[in-house]
Amino acid sequence: MGSLVAFFADGIKQVFRGDRLYWAWLVGLVAVIANGAYYYGQQLQQGLIVTGLSDQVSWGVYIANFTYLVGVAAAAVMLVIPAYIFDREDIKHVVLIGEGVAVAAVTMTILFVTVDLGRPDRIWHMLPLLGRFNFPQSMLAWDVLVLTGYLFLNLTIPFYMLFVKYRGGEPNFAVYFPGVLISIFWAISIHTVTAFLFSSNVARPFWNTAILGPRFLASAFTSGPALIVLALQVIDRFTAFKVHRPVIDFMALIITVSLQINLFLLGVEFFTEFYFPTEKGIASHYLFFGVNGFNALVPWIWTAFGFNVVAAFILTIHPLRARRALLNVACALAIVGVWIEKGMGLIIPGFVPTPIGEMFNYSPSQVEVFVSLGIWAAGLLVFTILTKIALPIELGTLVWVPGGTRSRYPGGPHGAASPGHPQRPQPQQPAAPEGERP
Amino acid sequence: MPRWGMVIDLDKCTACQACVVACQAENNVPFVGEREYERSRSISWMNVLRETEGVYPDVKIRYIPRPCMQCDNPPCTRVCPVHATYLNPEGIVAQVYYRCIGCRFCVAACPYTVKYFNWYDYHDRMPAESRKSDSPDVTPRPKGVVEKCTFCHHRLMKAKDRAAMEKREVAEGEYIPACAEVCPAKAISFGDLSDEKSHVSRLAKSSRAFRLMEDLGTKPKVIYLAEQTNNG
Repeated sequence: MGSLVAFFADGIKQVFRGDRLYWAWLVGLVAVIANGAYYYGQQLQQGLIVTGLSDQVSWGVYIANFTYLVGVAAAAVMLVIPAYIFDREDIKHVVLIGEGVAVAAVTMTILFVTVDLGRPDRIWHMLPLLGRFNFPQSMLAWDVLVLTGYLFLNLTIPFYMLFVKYRGGEPNFAVYFPGVLISIFWAISIHTVTAFLFSSNVARPFWNTAILGPRFLASAFTSGPALIVLALQVIDRFTAFKVHRPVIDFMALIITVSLQINLFLLGVEFFTEFYFPTEKGIASHYLFFGVNGFNALVPWIWTAFGFNVVAAFILTIHPLRARRALLNVACALAIVGVWIEKGMGLIIPGFVPTPIGEMFNYSPSQVEVFVSLGIWAAGLLVFTILTKIALPIELGTLVWVPGGTRSRYPGGPHGAASPGHPQRPQPQQPAAPEGERP
Repeated sequence: MPRWGMVIDLDKCTACQACVVACQAENNVPFVGEREYERSRSISWMNVLRETEGVYPDVKIRYIPRPCMQCDNPPCTRVCPVHATYLNPEGIVAQVYYRCIGCRFCVAACPYTVKYFNWYDYHDRMPAESRKSDSPDVTPRPKGVVEKCTFCHHRLMKAKDRAAMEKREVAEGEYIPACAEVCPAKAISFGDLSDEKSHVSRLAKSSRAFRLMEDLGTKPKVIYLAEQTNNG
């Protein structure tokens, strides 16, 4: 019990330790969150009238971000599988970061759904047991279940691993492995269910396709690992935690294959829609070429397509992929490309034209943009805090000392002590009060 | 148990919009003003859709009054996560405003675009004078929930009360929605589809009868009678 209290106390202390750059990062995030909260306050007061949504396009940038981030959350499984199933030690070393990305992403999805609701005060109607839940009929009910379940799994498993390490022990395989197995299937399910949310709508031919689920997974395993690759490098650069080259190479391979599959599936869809165009294909026509002067999405989707093709080119050619700078460019392109393709490029054409043939251009309002930015900042904050606590424990620099804890060497991962190999304990350095740079 | 249904004869309809206005008045459907109308946030439970074919001068326009289809297999009730919309035993698709969380999944699921979201507090922004003429039978909807045509369900309640007091069943023609009542061309008929002898049942068997987007399998209980003329 004492160790549990100390764990949380140490964790909280850890969050408030850091250099100037760390604090600037935190303050920046909080400022963006506060700005988003202010605009969300306006939306609460006046209703969703402050958005760019309409009777025709009733879901917009909030649901677009939601869909994208479910994919990011699911992508953590691409670290979990090699780490726990194929027992790759180097990946096991960073798997916590993947789980941190998952927790941050799921938090964001929940926030995005909440801000999209007309009556957020009634969100408890969706809670199992408390509310009257339309389960198993409603795909949204399924989504609530799988997302909260996934959040639970990704909080408890890393918590167990960290807590055991913090107490100086080794995690018990029989305890965590069943959870890991469940979380792998669960990860696939969250994105499949989210795809079903859309593909189950018979009235929306653009979504009503069996290929939507596979496309969701392919794009998720592109953009999620791409985000993780960038996150790993940021951590490698700014903290004492070192990420091995083979881990990045392995993730790069996953991104490459997923992006190739994603482009292939897009091509398949393209062929089906345009080889013999029918009335049901008008939405695709609207997305890629515009219809009767309604062409708001055309520049976006071709940008996304261009980004994805360039990224695929860089990734597919090994000498290019091996160069870190180019790999990062490819990751950034893939992240943005998939965000457009699976965000606005997926949600809006589902609504335009409406089933009765109305055309309507949607663009997000200022409120929607700022609230969305606020939620992204909140996700980054969650990720920052989680890694800030997890990494020193993983490195073995933050451990439980019964009767008062102390870092083995000052500063923690943000401190000045030069790290060398992550696993090697550092020589004791004298003095320098905790949390300050000597 | 009756299955309430509607037959709309497109040959008789003149697109005069009387049904639209009657519906707005009967159900306290708010006016949204020019600005919101242009941004496409208007509510009209009964709407007259216009279908244009060809270009001037060789143009053909068709008008289709469109209430909620009251599907027997409604896509909207299936997707609602909180049971805020459901098919009641008499075949009317109901919306429970106090359960609705405003996720707008039903709006996305409805093929007929009859589900309307309250983008803001329409009723609070209506002029005070107009609120004096609000119908006391129908709840005004708060912001953030979805609303829809109910086949003037409150009229059914009243008819049932009357019938119960006189210890009899609801007679044919005793319960009809406002749109059917006001139609000057008698294009809208209303009644019990489960009763073989009712007027609507007989019309529904007409060779001109069709339903909107029948291929989706939604089984609408609003049935249209096609126009007979070929040259418009």
